[in-house]
Amino acid sequence: MDSSVLQQLNSGSIFLICGVIIAVIAVVCVIFIVRAWRAGLALGMDPVRMRRAVTSSATFSILPGVGILLGVLALSGSLGTPWPWLRLSVIGALHYETSVADAAAEQLGVSLGSDSMTVGAFATIALLMSVCIMWGMILATLFNKRYLKRLEGKDPAKKAGGGFGDRAMIAMFIGMVSTYLGSYIGDFVSRAPASSGAEGTYVPSLFSFRGDWTPLVAAAAAAVAMGIFIWLKEKKHLDWVENFAVAGSMLIGMLVVVLVHL
Amino acid sequence: MKRDFSYESYLNGTHRLGRIFSVLTLIMLVGAPFAIGGILGAMPDLAAAARGFIAVGLVWTVSAVVEYLVYTPMLGAGGSYLAFITGNLINMKIPCAMNAREMTGAKTGTAENEVISTLSIATSSLVTILVLALGVLLMIPLQPVLQSAVLKPAFANVVPALFGAMACQYFRKDPRLAVVPMCAMTLLFMLVPSLTSSTSMMIMPAGALTITLAWLRWRKERKEAAQS
Repeated sequence: MDSSVLQQLNSGSIFLICGVIIAVIAVVCVIFIVRAWRAGLALGMDPVRMRRAVTSSATFSILPGVGILLGVLALSGSLGTPWPWLRLSVIGALHYETSVADAAAEQLGVSLGSDSMTVGAFATIALLMSVCIMWGMILATLFNKRYLKRLEGKDPAKKAGGGFGDRAMIAMFIGMVSTYLGSYIGDFVSRAPASSGAEGTYVPSLFSFRGDWTPLVAAAAAAVAMGIFIWLKEKKHLDWVENFAVAGSMLIGMLVVVLVHL
Repeated sequence: MKRDFSYESYLNGTHRLGRIFSVLTLIMLVGAPFAIGGILGAMPDLAAAARGFIAVGLVWTVSAVVEYLVYTPMLGAGGSYLAFITGNLINMKIPCAMNAREMTGAKTGTAENEVISTLSIATSSLVTILVLALGVLLMIPLQPVLQSAVLKPAFANVVPALFGAMACQYFRKDPRLAVVPMCAMTLLFMLVPSLTSSTSMMIMPAGALTITLAWLRWRKERKEAAQS
């Protein structure tokens, strides 16, 4: 990516905007903690139990927090540091942020991490990232009170576990992953380097097997790394590795691409 | 319980604050790209953002509705407002709240659970904010390394690396279901290579195909379960 664009995306004013928003959300969290603590005391709850909830949640969150930090690192080369810092501190999740950013870049005719990225393209990508993930907050704002009222007396675990919802979500992700992997295979099989134009430009060329193979290498290396993380968790019972699985696999996939380019 | 305390008023206050802070967060997050664009002298392209939303935003809207319906009952009022504001639900907030609930023995749907869930998610969010702030501070001196030419191919392949990892994660949950969309999409992109420049537009048909297949199987399994 053009280093002057990256420098602008890493400028102090962008850090300030993102930092202020993160600070506001931190204050919101403090307000909710104080209210809940007071309510707990008023309800007659044992302060030791509440303290245990706070300390266990704090320790539980450190490792996933480091995993999320690796996600910021993975995105910092294509979107600068402050924006991924904001998105992953406050609202987003790594898989969501990356795929939405990529789709927005595609609509603008640029690619993440490439020299085609401009400041204007970044602003549009950032807007789409914000708009696409706001539905949880909107639904909570509009329906939380009524929805929770309706659930009173019902077993939430049963409510959450049954039905087609979970399967639909997995199916949707399988569809999305298939689309991207299919495009990388298609890109390699049916494209070839352009005889004219900038280096790294490919044109359609049915079944020539001369297209860009680096996305396939990145995807394959990341998939193998994820397989190893899953194996460590399930067979070796190293539950903590799960916190690094997605970000760690991505970084390994990216590292392998660097190594094959050396 | 203290005599002057009303759990009903506490819940009402939680809903009021939750709504106010959710709207405030929405305004800040949607406003930030315009503020950044204003500072850097390049405003967002609204038409391109709309096209991007149609391509990929609708998929995430479906996911958001499912997440909202499934997770809100587990998190309670305060916990769900905070979780949707602070994100990272599946990989952090939900397991964190479940862990706190188990450790304290709070039962779902009770006032105790409401308190524990809120304490847990708010603490988890604060710790994440702190870890990331410290990490980003440490990353600042690393900027020249991150921008080096050697690492350029790595950052150009962030998305393939993500989908490789996700393929392993999701295909193993239901490998049989993955066969048809994977073959269909591979064939399509091999036969129509020009489509690779608009990959995200193909997510919706692929998602619809996979959800239909999953639904057909789910219906069959239900029928079989009812008969046995």
